[in-house]
Amino acid sequence: MLFDQAIDIPETLKGDAVSVTLMEERARYNLRIKSTDLTEFKKLTGLKLPRKINTSSAAKDVTCLCVGPDEWFVIAEAKSKAKLDKLLAKASNKFVCSVTDISHRNVGFEITGAKASRLINVGCPLDMAIEAFPVGKVTRTIFESAAILLRRTGEESFQIECWRSFGPYLRDFFVRASRDF
Amino acid sequence: MSAFRKSGRGMVDASKPVNFTFDGKAYQGLQGDTLASALLANGVHLTGRSFKYHRPRGIVGAGSEEPNALVAFDRGEGRVTPNVRATTLEIFDGLKAESQNRWPNLKTDIGGFNNIFSMFFPAGFYNKTFKWPASFWDKVYEPFIRNMAGLGPAPKSSDPDVYASVYGHCDVLIVGAGPAGIAAAVAAAKKDQRVILVDEQAEPGGGLLSAQNVEIDGMAAQDWLTKSLTTLRKADNVTVMLRSTAIGYYHDNFVAVNERLTDHIPSVEPGRSREKLHRIRAGKVILAQGGIERPLVFNGNDRPGVMLASAAQTYLGQYGVAVGNEVVVFTSHDSAYQAAFELADANISIAAIVDIRDKISGDLQQAVEARAIDLILGSSVSKTSGKLRINGCEVYTASSGKKQSFQCDALLMSGGWTPSLHLWSHSKGGIKWDADLAAYVPEQANENAVCVGACNGNFGIEAALNAGTKAGGGRKKFKVKEPEFGSGVVLDHLPNYIDSSKQKAFVDFQNDVTEKDIKLAVREGFKSIEHVKRYTTNGMATDQGKTSNLNALEIASKAVGKPIEKVGLTTFRPPYTPTTFGALAGYRDGELFDPTRKTAIDPWAEAQGAVFEPVGIWRRAWYFPKDGEDMHAAVARECKATRDSLGIFDASTLGKIEVVGPDATKFMNLMYSNSWTTLKPGRCRYGLMLREDGYIYDDGVVARMAEDRYHVTTTSGGAPRVYRHMEDYLQTEFQHLDVWLTSTTEQWAVIAINGPNARKLIEPFVEGIDLSKDAFPHMAVREGKICGVPTRLFRVSFTGELGFEINIPSHYGRTVWETLFEAGQSYEICPYGTETMHVLRAEKGFIIVGQDTDGTVTPHDAGMGWAVAKKKKDFVGMRSLKRSDLIADGRKHLIGLLTDDPNVVLEEGAQIVADPNQPIPMDMLGHVTSSYWSESLGRSVAMALVKDGFNRMDETLHVPMPGTTHKAKVVKPVFYDPKGERLNVV
Amino acid sequence: MFEIHCPYCDEKRPEIEFAYAGEAHIVRPNAQDQGEMSDADWSQYMFIRDNVRGEHCERWWHQHGCNMFFNAVRHTVTDKFVMTYKMGKSRPTAKQIADAKK
Ligand SMILES: [Zn+2]
Repeated sequence: MLFDQAIDIPETLKGDAVSVTLMEERARYNLRIKSTDLTEFKKLTGLKLPRKINTSSAAKDVTCLCVGPDEWFVIAEAKSKAKLDKLLAKASNKFVCSVTDISHRNVGFEITGAKASRLINVGCPLDMAIEAFPVGKVTRTIFESAAILLRRTGEESFQIECWRSFGPYLRDFFVRASRDF
Repeated sequence: MSAFRKSGRGMVDASKPVNFTFDGKAYQGLQGDTLASALLANGVHLTGRSFKYHRPRGIVGAGSEEPNALVAFDRGEGRVTPNVRATTLEIFDGLKAESQNRWPNLKTDIGGFNNIFSMFFPAGFYNKTFKWPASFWDKVYEPFIRNMAGLGPAPKSSDPDVYASVYGHCDVLIVGAGPAGIAAAVAAAKKDQRVILVDEQAEPGGGLLSAQNVEIDGMAAQDWLTKSLTTLRKADNVTVMLRSTAIGYYHDNFVAVNERLTDHIPSVEPGRSREKLHRIRAGKVILAQGGIERPLVFNGNDRPGVMLASAAQTYLGQYGVAVGNEVVVFTSHDSAYQAAFELADANISIAAIVDIRDKISGDLQQAVEARAIDLILGSSVSKTSGKLRINGCEVYTASSGKKQSFQCDALLMSGGWTPSLHLWSHSKGGIKWDADLAAYVPEQANENAVCVGACNGNFGIEAALNAGTKAGGGRKKFKVKEPEFGSGVVLDHLPNYIDSSKQKAFVDFQNDVTEKDIKLAVREGFKSIEHVKRYTTNGMATDQGKTSNLNALEIASKAVGKPIEKVGLTTFRPPYTPTTFGALAGYRDGELFDPTRKTAIDPWAEAQGAVFEPVGIWRRAWYFPKDGEDMHAAVARECKATRDSLGIFDASTLGKIEVVGPDATKFMNLMYSNSWTTLKPGRCRYGLMLREDGYIYDDGVVARMAEDRYHVTTTSGGAPRVYRHMEDYLQTEFQHLDVWLTSTTEQWAVIAINGPNARKLIEPFVEGIDLSKDAFPHMAVREGKICGVPTRLFRVSFTGELGFEINIPSHYGRTVWETLFEAGQSYEICPYGTETMHVLRAEKGFIIVGQDTDGTVTPHDAGMGWAVAKKKKDFVGMRSLKRSDLIADGRKHLIGLLTDDPNVVLEEGAQIVADPNQPIPMDMLGHVTSSYWSESLGRSVAMALVKDGFNRMDETLHVPMPGTTHKAKVVKPVFYDPKGERLNVV
Repeated sequence: MFEIHCPYCDEKRPEIEFAYAGEAHIVRPNAQDQGEMSDADWSQYMFIRDNVRGEHCERWWHQHGCNMFFNAVRHTVTDKFVMTYKMGKSRPTAKQIADAKK
């Protein structure tokens, strides 16, 4: 097997109150484009980039996350990579923008369960109340000493991405903290 | 049932006896007891020796303000906690506790001689005495101080427990679950606020737990408490946290609350967290911390059995414990009468109530008379007696000169009440002096916070309930039937016929500070209360003067001759109570202390037995020892193998930034000292980055992937700062440029292949790239595939050999590495680590930023003037390079050093001088920056920053090292293949 | 730990997401001005800062957030953030600062 994220999730993280799984291979892009081009960008690529900072839009197999005033992450199933490569290359040719493939820069965790937000608050200082951090909200933030990308996918489900070398650190933190749940 | 237990009283469970030991002796208490209440139930008051004089001391209070009863709490090997307040330690079956500061045992203590010679230990004694002769320091003074100083034993092994931490959020955080706090919580809960209510005790209720003869809205106080707690526990929006101390209040309503999870449990399963630090951000903070009763400062007030009146009340009401059989009450405040009455009503004999005031209210007087208690007004206790426990006291009436003696086994004192302002003070809330209360009370808030109840100077349960309700957003008014709280007076000095120099009137029990000490400090010129505090150490013990600060202030203000409000209060600082390091660390111990970043190839290196070194928070393979090799042998072998045939190196940690946009070249021209205009897509260039001050900041190879796209590499440790440096300029000074940055360090695994056989190795695996010498020259980059996965292939060399750096998406890194390593066997491929990398680059004179430079080295100083474009109009650092200081003569230059003795490897950091025989201090010319054994050259090589180095070529300099001084010749810092011919392998 | 209002995210976020970035409104001289500046003037730009006691205009970086640099007015004695504003906006007037405090 050529693809290797080198992070094992132990059984102890598959609890009833909270469960952590490693996200499978993904296509990821960092996209920088001027907000004035968003409408044209959608016409060309079919990708709807949310205009509001720290929000996300999920469509079929592609999720677009707005993480800065002119910065988006495009995250998709690995099987869509060839298609997205072409679409974004087309966009690169047309717009003043920057597209960078970061598929392998990150690893991702899915955290679900009634105590999922509690596990996130072990290391992340943001308020995880549903009013303060509604479904679909996304942001870069901190989990103890790791920079993370945090997204709420449901009332009791979240995705956390981090640079790949911080993955085992987060996993170890989850293992240790989940013992208290 | 022990002698001092009053059956049918308190919250303890008489059906559940609990066995524990104190100083090895077995005792029995009840479920619900603290160590203090259980000891008192057994008639034990003596719990420790004092810090300085080793005087016998007993229990003074009933809560976390306790200054005296500090014990070592022994939970087994490695789990002895010193300085635990017996008043907050919940007992359980098998609990072990030891007294402190005594030797050989609590009743006979050698250090007690300090007490006998206490006239030698006035304020500032240590500062004054242990000054000279200097030779006395390590032989006499320090051993003496070490022996005597310190409270309790420090743990000898690392803490075997684990701890937890979590962030919390709420609309309203309430500190203190007494009447005010509970009323606030009930009111806020009704308003649909997210409420957190914390209390340091195991039982919520505060003063309500021991309240006698109190009715709230027609209900007994305890019934109201139960009802309210049930309401709170049922509410989804309320969290009640017990055994949880708010230890610190920080900016923007950020409060640290330490929850003790297991210390009260007899046996704890391994791995369970002992304490959890909640880091809570609150919309509003309601402080309902209550008040602390003030001791009276009188001669002999530290004898075991002398305690706060309110504490005796709590022991009786909450724990059903009588603190004595024959009790004298000594007070300057009405509130102590209630304590006396409650004890008397429980059939405890009150020998007398001594009040320093000449007159009390008629109601009080009647109540005293109704109980036939002896009341002595206008008088004070002039001395106490009893060796390890009070057995009597003398009462002195100044107006008549009359002295009366009483036998007693407990003496209750009350000097009035101090609102607890600790957390309010952490939050930088203002305070003002309230002359009626003779106390500081909160004034303007600095955060969205409010003090309610006793900590706001509003004493009494009705006042607390109503203030709490209002703060919680409610409008309800409570009707409470309760004894009047009353009032009192505060004196700086209690009348006594005994000469003040012969009195022992303690202010700070824990640090053994007396009234005399404070007056002496003022006489010696310390006028500021902060200085008095430090000179006398009053309020500097583990209790931060909870019981002593106001008394000290009163005494100091009179001695200084200034009103108390002009003297000011000393500053309270977190933590509110002593806190374990474990709680502060939370989960962050061991592996979780800091992340250890590992590359995709790291598991392979580990399996090969590599030795690792930390580089920032990366761990990198340092060298790969083969059977029994030491580092020197391994590195020599790795160097030789690479130069002779083939080496493979994991360079994945190199920082990488993708610079993309139509203005990418303009941006690169501004950020680097080199010129990028002439670099064509498909080519690489060494880039040198300066700070605005002209000094070298970072370096690395930069590849131009396309007209508008650069693949920038940085040093391994420099990636974050280079990224920040670039973003900073891009967002502020160079906003007009259309260019964006993306950190791609971890997108790519990087495998460096070096050596004459490098091309031969990779050729069979590469698709879509012509690797021939002319098609793919040195300093070129191509995109294609290797082992079937996409690659950015660089032809670069940090070793001087034919070299390639293969960038592949990280998650393919290990497989590609293993494939190449397998194929490399026919070339005797050698994996090498960072040490060999350093040697190979030093042989070529390539610098390491941060090792051969130190933040004060210009490109010219480093011999790299060639990397500064001459024709550019602007780049970061350009103007500074023209500063007179940076072009002056006599700057340090980076040069090579060859030792006369080729076998000597100079120490990195060793100083360099021109003449080793010059007088000391010598004129230092510089220092060795890099130094290695070069296997290829069969001798040592070194680089050094040396004053005026470029003008010293062939000069012999001297490098003193332990034992001997070595001679070394200044040379150009390129030791190996100076013409670079080895890159030209076909 | 402060809560800092990021003008780009338009919400208060915990201090540990941010990094301090020095005094604000110090403009880098353009290439031509640099050439004409004396060493003394250049040193003034490079090294000399106000170190005010009171309201201080300073730069912060929402490093672990939107990645944007922005400006803030913070009181150096009380540590209170009075206001934050986007990069490129001019230094707030005394009146704007007073209004922000209300
Ligand atoms: Zn932001």
